[in-house]
Amino acid sequence: MTDQTESLAPPSTRHPFVDQLLKAFRTNKLTWVGAVIFVLIVVVALAAPLLSPYDPLQQNILHRLKGPGPDFWLGTDAYGRDILSRLLYGARVSLVIGVAAIGSAMVIGSAIGIVAGYYGGKVDLVIMQAMDVLLAFPALILGLIVVAMLGPSMQNLIIAISLTAIPPFARIARAPTIVVKERDYIEACRALGYGDLRIMTLHVLPNVLSEILVMGSLWLATAIRVEASLSFIGLGVKPPTASWGGMIREGFENILDTFWLSLFPSLAILLVVFSLNLLGDGMRDAIDPKTRSDA
Amino acid sequence: MLRFTARRLLFAIPTLLAVMTMVFVLVRIVPGDPAQTILGDQASAEALQIMRERLGLDRPLWEQYFEFMGGALTGDWGQSMVTGKPVLSEILRVLPYTLELTLASLVIGAVIGVPLGAWSALHRNRWIDYVTRVGSLLGLSFPAFVSAILLLIAFSIQLRWFPVISGGNRATFSDWALSLALPAINLGLIMAAYITRVTRSSMLGALGEDYIRTARAKGVPMRVIVWRHAMRNALIPVVTVVGLYLGILIGNSVLTEIVFNRPGLGKLIVGALGQRDYTLLQGLMVIYTFVIVVVNLLTDLTYGLIDPRVKYQ
Amino acid sequence: MTAQMGDPVLDVRNLTTSFRIDGEWYPAVRGISFALQPNETLALVGESGCGKSMTALSILGLVPTNNGRVEAERIGFEGRDLSRLSDEEMRKIRGNGISMIFQEPMTSLNPVLTIGFQVTEALIYHQNLSRAEAEREALALLDLVKIPSAKSRFREYPHQFSGGMRQRVMIAMALACRPKVILADEPTTALDVTIQAQILALLNELKAETGMSMIFITHNLGVVAALADRVAVMYAGDIVEIAAVHDLFARPTHPYTEALLRSIPRSDRDMDTLHTIPGTVPPINRMPQGCRFAARCGLARDICREKNPPLDPLGDGAEHAVRCWVRGDHDLPALTEDAHV
Repeated sequence: MTDQTESLAPPSTRHPFVDQLLKAFRTNKLTWVGAVIFVLIVVVALAAPLLSPYDPLQQNILHRLKGPGPDFWLGTDAYGRDILSRLLYGARVSLVIGVAAIGSAMVIGSAIGIVAGYYGGKVDLVIMQAMDVLLAFPALILGLIVVAMLGPSMQNLIIAISLTAIPPFARIARAPTIVVKERDYIEACRALGYGDLRIMTLHVLPNVLSEILVMGSLWLATAIRVEASLSFIGLGVKPPTASWGGMIREGFENILDTFWLSLFPSLAILLVVFSLNLLGDGMRDAIDPKTRSDA
Repeated sequence: MLRFTARRLLFAIPTLLAVMTMVFVLVRIVPGDPAQTILGDQASAEALQIMRERLGLDRPLWEQYFEFMGGALTGDWGQSMVTGKPVLSEILRVLPYTLELTLASLVIGAVIGVPLGAWSALHRNRWIDYVTRVGSLLGLSFPAFVSAILLLIAFSIQLRWFPVISGGNRATFSDWALSLALPAINLGLIMAAYITRVTRSSMLGALGEDYIRTARAKGVPMRVIVWRHAMRNALIPVVTVVGLYLGILIGNSVLTEIVFNRPGLGKLIVGALGQRDYTLLQGLMVIYTFVIVVVNLLTDLTYGLIDPRVKYQ
Repeated sequence: MTAQMGDPVLDVRNLTTSFRIDGEWYPAVRGISFALQPNETLALVGESGCGKSMTALSILGLVPTNNGRVEAERIGFEGRDLSRLSDEEMRKIRGNGISMIFQEPMTSLNPVLTIGFQVTEALIYHQNLSRAEAEREALALLDLVKIPSAKSRFREYPHQFSGGMRQRVMIAMALACRPKVILADEPTTALDVTIQAQILALLNELKAETGMSMIFITHNLGVVAALADRVAVMYAGDIVEIAAVHDLFARPTHPYTEALLRSIPRSDRDMDTLHTIPGTVPPINRMPQGCRFAARCGLARDICREKNPPLDPLGDGAEHAVRCWVRGDHDLPALTEDAHV
């Protein structure tokens, strides 16, 4: 179909991708809203030591279970710790676990998907079958079991959450790989004697990157939600470290009297997840012509 | 159709076996000695040895494996390591609670999500569409326990419309309904958010098809075009996606059961994990897998009802 | 320029259909006029993208309203102006007084509804028949379009029908309410050659039997010769030449018509042979000033690139009009001077 000179040069995917992202921000203001909120939360998390009015771990029996007020803007918990400070520090836990888990799931998942799609045949069949079995299992239950078995720690939470996110990334990476590997220029690369590894990283990966990055932002939202859920069940980072799910869990014990203990961290989680979903959704609309609203 | 069902069930067996093997391995590679966990740190070496024998942990792994697999297939799922009661009866005791919760929330999700998604698609890019899209995105951003807690604070604690602990009280119908209502609404609203989004996008796809133009050229009224011509086509992807969301629904039901202190598989699994009740855990994993296999089958059968092109071969 | 054969069934005057692209409106059909006589077949001919289908959709009010706009001085049908009717009033005309057959029989039938239901529908909404009556009528229609063993296939779905059979179903649906006018948008393009001939024969036969009029949209001049009474050649939203069919074939005047005729496909070919006209129809948001065809025309002069020619009758009494500075009856030197003043 395409003429020879054109098909020999691998099409650059960087530029269209950047264009698409710019378009996402231009056409959909909510993408902006999501991006701005998320960046703000990241900044706040980074600057937690500067912004926090109190030490998040400092207990103070005299100021137990204070409601929101001028001294403690969002009140204090059952140990007299400042909720606002704990919220700020808790953001770090959520973000670190989320980013690390999804980052590793993206790397491992796309590597698996590209390998499966590139080699095809039995390799593909076995790998994808395994992914399907993993995918069939409810993510939260899988995370629950893995963390419970390995013991709750930040590292194990990252392992558990990234384990649940690997199959979807493998699937996302595999589909375009199968398409790309049939193109003429990949054939040309092979004819030139390029190794499989080089072809996969230099020529296949760029083609699947945009979709993986966009899905990454949506899955980051999921990861933060799952981390909070595991912490709420009691499988989060060890106390007294502040994590939002853990704060809700502690607050939940006193829900009848002091519901704001659970309320504020709940809203914080909601805000992060929502902002990431707005961001990811807008970008996906821009990339996927099927859902594009102006098409 | 019967043959199709039988074949699909046959194909599900390898998946089931694979998951059970995974469960078996997973439970055994974890650090820690179940006997120690059960008897505590103070247990004597002798007592530990007796406990291991009772649990079958002293025998070779392959023997344990075949006993586990054989037992699971014949309905003997062993006894709970903690309570000593048969695992299967423990599970069957709470299964109805989880099933009624997930079913009720699916119904709520479909009843809200399908019309809302269709409505949104019909008013594409008007304010109603924007509100629905942002609203559904917000809905699926809720961790299930966060929405559950917010509902609990609002309706049980502030307004006192529902009991705070809906512990599965089923003495009378109204007890049953009241205890089910809030958890089901919680799960149902999240489900509705997902269903609204799929329905909207598949409805948009269907409305853009050539056959819709044909129907308009015939002079079919708009309402008939939407509900009869477009909707049935739009529902096909919705069914797929609802099947895929089962995992999310199950995960969310665990959280919902905890917040509302409601009996069910979720509470059972959290308890089993806390007490390292491996036999119970194995049983729960098998039942989850079984549920997933059955739902996938139901999804495939539903296609046949909606899409005449599906052939059960 | 219309024939003096009495009142036309359909009288389109100055129809313009525009689309919005990046906030600007661009016409896809530009002020075209024609009249359709009783029991006449008017062929609209041209390459894809020249506004033929849009003309038909505009008449029926099926142009998407979110980014499309239809304006007309008048679209006269049965004493009413279709361009002024509400959507509900239009709905009562669609499939009843005027109906349409689409190009793609594979995608134009609803895959989840039975053939019988889809044929029955128009009867139920327009003729207030009971379901049983409508089904009896629909079955008769399927027999009329020669679907073998129609009765047993009544409850089958589109995917169980071949392409040719589906197009017969489409025709049955279009005929259901005995319309005065049928708009047939490339009804045979997607079909095999032998099936094409059958469908064309069927349409001709039905037209003779029912006395309806037809607008037949095609890019295939071979089909035109077999079917049409009159031909309007469209290019880039304009009618560039309109004439009785024998006139057009005997004396093609517009360079575009000429080029189309030169590239006339053999009866076993379809699209491919149109490649012999160099270049393509310009996109609607990049229309040149002047004659739209100038860039592809071997005869183009300066004036062609500056002013779009009017559609003027050839001055010999025949019903033959052409939109061309060079080939039409124009005093070119005078005009050229005019243009440079």
